[in-house]
Amino acid sequence: MRPAGSPPLVTKDLVRRFGDEVAIDGLDIEVRRGEIHAVVGLNGAGKTTLMRLLLGMLRPDAGRAMVLGFDARHAPPQTWVEVGHLIETPFAYPELSVRSNIAASGLLHGVEGARLDEIVDRAVEEFGLGHWESKRADALSLGNRQRLGLASALVHQPSVLLLDEPANALDPAGVVFIRRMLETYVQRDAAILLSSHHLDHLARIADRITVLHRGRHVGSLDPSGVDLEGQFFDLVYESDLARGEPHR
Amino acid sequence: MSRAIRVEWWKLRRSRVVATATGLMGLLLPLMGLGFYSVALSGGTGPLAGKAGALLIGEGWEAYMGLVDQIAAVAIFLGAGVVVTWVFGREHADRTFPSLFALPVSRQRIAAAKVAVLAGWMIALSLLVTTVAVVVGLMAGIGPSPAEVVVPAALRLLMIAVLASVLSSPVAVVASIGRGYMPAFGFLILVVAMAQVAVLFGTGAWFPFAVPGLMAVTGSEGAPVVGPAQVALVPMVATAAVWLTLRWWRRAEVT
Repeated sequence: MRPAGSPPLVTKDLVRRFGDEVAIDGLDIEVRRGEIHAVVGLNGAGKTTLMRLLLGMLRPDAGRAMVLGFDARHAPPQTWVEVGHLIETPFAYPELSVRSNIAASGLLHGVEGARLDEIVDRAVEEFGLGHWESKRADALSLGNRQRLGLASALVHQPSVLLLDEPANALDPAGVVFIRRMLETYVQRDAAILLSSHHLDHLARIADRITVLHRGRHVGSLDPSGVDLEGQFFDLVYESDLARGEPHR
Repeated sequence: MSRAIRVEWWKLRRSRVVATATGLMGLLLPLMGLGFYSVALSGGTGPLAGKAGALLIGEGWEAYMGLVDQIAAVAIFLGAGVVVTWVFGREHADRTFPSLFALPVSRQRIAAAKVAVLAGWMIALSLLVTTVAVVVGLMAGIGPSPAEVVVPAALRLLMIAVLASVLSSPVAVVASIGRGYMPAFGFLILVVAMAQVAVLFGTGAWFPFAVPGLMAVTGSEGAPVVGPAQVALVPMVATAAVWLTLRWWRRAEVT
């Protein structure tokens, strides 16, 4: 039975090191239902590592990464039926057609075989992949491969989403499409953790923006505020000053 | 059919690597055997005719199938090894390994599905090589073809093909731990070299990777006898490899 009450995604005193490098350093974060929580940071700030820890891809060295009330590394298999993720490379096997890729992802995400065709039809339509549905994934442009990755990640209509740079390689129409799609998920009370380098993009969709630097939560940005870029660099700079570390 | 097996089957069926390896082994091995057999009987005095003649054991069907056996023992190990490498290394090479996390189907089940489709493919490949070898022999008119000669020779080739392909299973461990293709290819070459050394030092029958090759030369002068105990080492190696592979996939991280 699922533990009740806590937000779908929670980290507590989370630490993860790679050798001498501390990638996540005592991080507390939570993502509630009905909100988009964005994390921003420079390259190497720990955004992807945070998502990997929450998806059970990495073991924490200390602290906890919880998904729907369970330790991410030991969550019961059915927990993941409610979770969709796109971390780095899209789920796009080059030898499979667009349609087969989405169907394969659907099967692995727990879609019932009897409903598979109907669900794949919907995803192909929703993500604008109809023209390419019979083509092999290796014939797609980068942008369409990203659309395929998103369709594969969300084919089962999860209620908890973790998306690392979902607008990667997308054209302006694709970025608008993502924004509208995420808004519909929020209306359905989904919990969304999102990373992006594009502050203007985040300002339009995020409910909360957390700034990560050297694996630590160094502050938050108000999505409705002005000059987010300036605020972001101020937080990063102050964090380095406070720790006596050279600014990079 | 389980979800993971269905997905792995789709991938295997559409793979150019698998199609190429299957086609090359299924068609080329019997044709190479026939080629060497023809050269050996040509009465030529060149080095190739001499080598081919030295590999002949018996005559007619026995000699032809014996040559196919000897080629198959090495070529199927390498060819199946390439396919096993692709199946277990491709998510690392494609960088899609993270997509196999956070799913209701566990990674251990996905790895088991890979093992299951590979086992089916290995059996199908062995049957294909054996069938094509017999058909090529019949079409080439290799002497009289009584069933009491052709059937045992075909069964021996089938056995050698199954053993050689099954012996490639440790490659799954290396491709998984090594997270890609190159360590596994290195392992394949190393094993072939070690099998040669083991045979040279007279311990080949107890080195599992040399067993198919030694079975292929059974009956030739000075060849070590491969008994049931040595053959039994092959499934033991495969079982250990599958266990280690599943264990690695269960505990793996994305690094």
